[in-house]
Amino acid sequence: MKGMVFTEFLEMVENKFSPEIADRIIEKSDLQSGGIYTAVGTYDHREMIELVSCLSSETGISSAELVHSFGIYLFSRFHTMFPIYFEGVSSSFDFLERVEGYVHIEVRKLYPEAELPSFACDAPEPGCLRLTYRSARPFATLAEGLIRGCVDHYGEAVDIQAEDLSDGAGTAARFLLTKRDAPR
Amino acid sequence: VSEVEQLKRRLERERQARKAAEAIAEERTREIYEANSRLQRLNDHLEDLVRQRTAELAAARDDAVQASQAKSSFLASMSHELRTPLNAIIGYSEMLLEQADEAGQGDFVPDLNKIRTAGKHLLGLINDILDLSKVEAGRMDIFVEEFDVAAMLADVRATIEPLMAKNANGFEVRCAADLGSMRSDQVKVRQSLFNLLSNAAKFTKRGRVTLEARRLAEHGGDRLELRVSDTGIGMTPEQVGRLFQAFSQADASTSRNYGGTGLGLAITKHFCRMLGGGVVVESEHGKGSTFTIILPVAAEQTSVDGREPPTVGDTRPTVLVIDDERATHDFLGRELDARGYRVVHASGGLEGLRLAREVRPDAITLDVIMPEVDGWAVLRELKADPALRDIPVVLVTILGDQEMGYALGAADFLTKPINAETLARVLGRYRAGDGWAEVLIVDDDPVTREVVRRPLTKAGWSVSEATGGCEGIAYLSRSQPAVVLLDLMMPGMNGFEVLKRMRDEEAWRDIPVIIITAKDLGREELARLNGQAERVFKKGAYDRAELIAIVHDMIARRTAEARARQGPAVDTA
Repeated sequence: MKGMVFTEFLEMVENKFSPEIADRIIEKSDLQSGGIYTAVGTYDHREMIELVSCLSSETGISSAELVHSFGIYLFSRFHTMFPIYFEGVSSSFDFLERVEGYVHIEVRKLYPEAELPSFACDAPEPGCLRLTYRSARPFATLAEGLIRGCVDHYGEAVDIQAEDLSDGAGTAARFLLTKRDAPR
Repeated sequence: VSEVEQLKRRLERERQARKAAEAIAEERTREIYEANSRLQRLNDHLEDLVRQRTAELAAARDDAVQASQAKSSFLASMSHELRTPLNAIIGYSEMLLEQADEAGQGDFVPDLNKIRTAGKHLLGLINDILDLSKVEAGRMDIFVEEFDVAAMLADVRATIEPLMAKNANGFEVRCAADLGSMRSDQVKVRQSLFNLLSNAAKFTKRGRVTLEARRLAEHGGDRLELRVSDTGIGMTPEQVGRLFQAFSQADASTSRNYGGTGLGLAITKHFCRMLGGGVVVESEHGKGSTFTIILPVAAEQTSVDGREPPTVGDTRPTVLVIDDERATHDFLGRELDARGYRVVHASGGLEGLRLAREVRPDAITLDVIMPEVDGWAVLRELKADPALRDIPVVLVTILGDQEMGYALGAADFLTKPINAETLARVLGRYRAGDGWAEVLIVDDDPVTREVVRRPLTKAGWSVSEATGGCEGIAYLSRSQPAVVLLDLMMPGMNGFEVLKRMRDEEAWRDIPVIIITAKDLGREELARLNGQAERVFKKGAYDRAELIAIVHDMIARRTAEARARQGPAVDTA
């Protein structure tokens, strides 16, 4: 998993909770990296699961809720750090449709070793977008948070229905996005 | 405590992360450097590759150019090689036709006519193929000249009428009154019309062929419309579509039934385009066809300018008399003039040498004993000069030094006092043959020489032959013919060189030259001949009567001019 996800996660913990909590979950977790992350590095995704789990016990908030919130936060960070991917994009559907065919391709050029999830999308009817997440790692909830962050970013009224496709493993899910004002 | 500890840990993590990031950055930098190096190498390799490919392409282009030149020279030599024997076939068949007529052996006439017609036909085909290949190679030149359209059409009519009669076709020419003249390539206009008219004649039986000509006044210059219509077999739209393609006729059976190579229309189309115009066709199967040529009356000026009128001098054999005694000059001048020589006088050795170079006399009489520069010195000088050494020198002296004279290259010897008859006899030896050779044929091909010589001899002229350029020049330095008939393609000294030598030499400059060649002449070659030669005849393709008429005119003109100049031209002393 790209180091940026870890550095952004810890920054979020420091900002939304406290630097003490961030330090504590690092100390408590059994991390191969020792909690030393740089955005340009790559780390085992299980460390993220470990950190989230620790944060959950620390805060009493469920892991799923934490990861979902992190997804929303991470999207806003993406938008700040990589504005180039948002040029000429005017809606969440616009952007989400470009993730697989454009954003991931550009990411692979910079990080050929990156293991990116697949993010297929189709439009079953107008005002609807169906996104299918598949990954080697169980971050369907993170994906859902990112999608929510995207919709919120464009200030749209969109319902997101998530459907797990991996028997609760979280490695595959289908998200049906429906614009609320869209004629049904 | 715990807060400090916590900050310490946090600082340590940040420091470690920074170092990790630096290590990764360094690693990436190295990777980028290596990738750049690889790209650089690839680029170098590509440039090598491009250089190599460029060299290969250049070589291929050179090969292609060379092949094209080889093809051109092959075609040129083929035209020469094919036309020379055809010339013999056509020429001999014509001579035999005349002889058969004269000898009352009319039985042979039809067969001989077939040989002659077949030869002419073959020549036409060869010319067509060469024309087309020249057009396609972009080597066909245009020679623009001003000519009268009605006269050109009358000429075309006269030529094509026998062909019309063959299939019992009526032929009508309708010319508008205001045709005027046009500036174009007359030969190509005529040939285009011949092609259309002979097609019309060929594909029409017991019908009607019409040639209409009119001038179209148009913005940006008048145009000439030449319309050839027939009531022949016509063509289907499919046949019309294939019409102007080389080697393509209406269908395969056409060539069986009507003959021809199918080149005529392709050539016509090319010619019309070259002259700034075009040719279109309308046709109805079974009803007939109409071909319309439209040409600008002023084609692009790319021509070689017209020839200067030839100038003809005194063509009598010239004798240069070098002597310091007035009495000898008077005597020789009178005697030689009476015997048909032109006499040039020099009163001393130096003047004699100067005049020899200027006049290039046919013979020199040289006094041995003269003040200042004596005869021996003059003789040595004459024999040392390549341009003069072939002029026969007759030594005139009171001394008997014959041995020395011959050793120095003197041709003959006279002893004073000079006997007029002896003088005439001696000089006579250095005139070609028994009399003045009026026509000189320079050609390496014995058949051509004979074909050309026979009608000339028959017409009453004295004809001499030279088998090559050098021999021709050697002949000229001995004797001056009234006309030279010159081949161009000869081993050794070719016709162009002979012509140049003749035009460089004052004494030969005025001798008219008629070129008879099998060579296909290009623009440059025609330009070289321009103003240097009177006429160019193509072997096998010319009319013998026309050749004889032209030779006749030239000899008549030269004789008249020589006679007119005889008086004042004689004495220069």
